[in-house]
Amino acid sequence: MKLLWDQVGDRTYETGVDRGVLYIPSNGIYNRGVAWNGLTGVDEKPTGAEATPQYADNIKYLNLISAEAYEATISAFTYPDEFAQFDGVAEPVPGVRVGQQTRKAFGYSYRTLKGNDVDGTDLGYLIHLIYGAQAAPSEKNYQTVNDTPAAIEFSWDVTTSPVDGGSLNGTTFKPTASITIDSTDVSADDLANFESIIYGSEGTDARLPLPGEVYSLFAGTALQVVVPTQPTFADNTITIPATAGVVYSIGGVAQDAGDVPITENTGVSASPASGYKFADNADTYWLYDYSA
Amino acid sequence: MTDSPPVSMEEQRRLDLHALFNTLAPNVYFQPPTNVQMRYPCIVYQRDYRNIQFAGNLPYRSTKRYQVTIIDQDPDSAIPDRVAALPMCAFQRFFAADNLNHDIYSLYF
Repeated sequence: MKLLWDQVGDRTYETGVDRGVLYIPSNGIYNRGVAWNGLTGVDEKPTGAEATPQYADNIKYLNLISAEAYEATISAFTYPDEFAQFDGVAEPVPGVRVGQQTRKAFGYSYRTLKGNDVDGTDLGYLIHLIYGAQAAPSEKNYQTVNDTPAAIEFSWDVTTSPVDGGSLNGTTFKPTASITIDSTDVSADDLANFESIIYGSEGTDARLPLPGEVYSLFAGTALQVVVPTQPTFADNTITIPATAGVVYSIGGVAQDAGDVPITENTGVSASPASGYKFADNADTYWLYDYSA
Repeated sequence: MTDSPPVSMEEQRRLDLHALFNTLAPNVYFQPPTNVQMRYPCIVYQRDYRNIQFAGNLPYRSTKRYQVTIIDQDPDSAIPDRVAALPMCAFQRFFAADNLNHDIYSLYF
């Protein structure tokens, strides 16, 4: 077939960035997501994959390629309160923030648009999922208000530690820190289901599925439906049930099955484990009153 | 008796600016029609520009800019100095015409 260039509908491009989400991990599971407003840019800067040539018999014998890593710079006018803990800030008392603390790892996602000469930016979009991210300290350039209004644009350099790359149909993938989903190449139903997971839905927190679950979501592997069992409560002790496919959390920290004594009013939330989803209208949060 | 329509946030912001100008000069006009007989000294202001910053593929924040003209017969009028002291205000130019001194500023509000 003769090659043709720049045909109608083939002039594709990518643009824009929106729908930033910060995912807060607990015991390796990114089971709570919060919206990241004011996102202005994500500059992906992958590193590694550098060639080291090896010579033998007076010729270039082979190229050894180093491991590849995902790095990026996130720019935004603001950041969610929950991001402070990942930016080396602790809050011992509400409203009092202490810097230079331990920086934790987090996950995040963002969306970029795909366009072409026919549909413009309505063609589709890419959803980028990032795992094991750690933010480096960054500048905050506070300056006087002058004769032109301007909001400060913050930025964070992000490095990543890859997570288990998962497997599908007998193929095991290397550990990875980034996955991209192309809306123009996956089924609308699978995409809607996926988006209800990463952006949350009525009664269910947003969460970031690990790579293996992402593959299964788009490979037609049906998720198991589970109804979370309500924890029991007696004598200021919450008993977390052992329900397959349900992760129970208190204050964003995943809990093992068993007794949890409380010393104040405490809420327990449930999120589906990898490979599971909750039945519609299932209760996912319970509040227990402490009695002195 | 009918209720007056609710004032939008944008309109309220402009009314706040008008009230601020009223504390600086005895006569204040917002984009006056040509048939208005102006009294001096006065502040005449009009919409000029809107500064917009984008995020998430949408306008994230914006601020309106106004062109503010102080018209006074007194060349040593204190009104321009009061306007110049406002935040996000910058002097543009000065001219005199018909024995009236015109000081023009741009002001984000």
